[in-house]
Amino acid sequence: MRRLFQFRRLRAITITRLLRWSAVLTMIALALMVWSMLQPTPLPVMLAMSLGQLLGTMAFALYGVVILRDLRRVRRERRDSERTHREPVAEPKAGT
Amino acid sequence: MSMFSDPFLVVALGCASLAVLVLVWYLVRRPALTRSTKVVLLFGIGLLPIATAANGNIAGYHATKTTRFCSSCHVMTPYGDDSTDLNSTSLASRHARNELFGDENCYACHADYGMFGTITTKLGGLRHVYEYTFNYHQLSVDEALVKMEILRPFENATCIRCHSMQNPTWNQVGDHASTLDSLRAGTVSCASEGCHGPAHPFSKDAKRRAAALQPLGAAR
Repeated sequence: MRRLFQFRRLRAITITRLLRWSAVLTMIALALMVWSMLQPTPLPVMLAMSLGQLLGTMAFALYGVVILRDLRRVRRERRDSERTHREPVAEPKAGT
Repeated sequence: MSMFSDPFLVVALGCASLAVLVLVWYLVRRPALTRSTKVVLLFGIGLLPIATAANGNIAGYHATKTTRFCSSCHVMTPYGDDSTDLNSTSLASRHARNELFGDENCYACHADYGMFGTITTKLGGLRHVYEYTFNYHQLSVDEALVKMEILRPFENATCIRCHSMQNPTWNQVGDHASTLDSLRAGTVSCASEGCHGPAHPFSKDAKRRAAALQPLGAAR
């Protein structure tokens, strides 16, 4: 039980870290895009349209992964709680 | 013309600023992953950056058509300077002073025509970037003027977009009428010497000077 708790805690940390990574990647992508808009020369424009958009897409994909994992966690918890409510309480046998 | 006159640029910068505000809020405050946090992050990581990229792409595409963009490679500086020089009488400069060409006077003449002209022009532009990076970047402006050549001969179709061969005034010019078939076939260029060109005469002068000096150098 303790091990399961530790595993869930690790997963929670990973989700937070993934989201932080996603936010940082998005900021780098935005910085490249803004650079290309403020200084429209070949290098910034090409970087924004290739690396910037790749980083932005990766960041959004990470966000999608986090949301999917969170949805799965919520569904699993709901299923577990429903199962515990459905299980009949064992009645004590007569004569014991 | 101010760079902020492009509405796509303004929208892109606005979306980017909002996205950065959301992301900084998330990174500094580190809120719990509730439904409202997810929705806010959907804007910060998804919708606002996508809007920035979409509008930024259009703004970037507009920017790549400007003379300022073309002249940003140092070997293109004399061409850009000539086109904005009010005293220049070159074919390129005279066209650049036309309001219809405006800030996009390089693109107006060097863009391909037709349905996919924009795409082929942009692909050609990528080749320019490749050539500049690996072949011309280390050259001085004077060396580049001598060594650089247009990839393909300038097509008459570009001139004909505005100067129609069907126009009676155009046909009244004797040289036009006598060379009509050659002009249509592309065997005689509108921008050739003796006709209306060359469009950038200073580059031809530089090549001529270099050619005149070469035998002397070889004799030494």
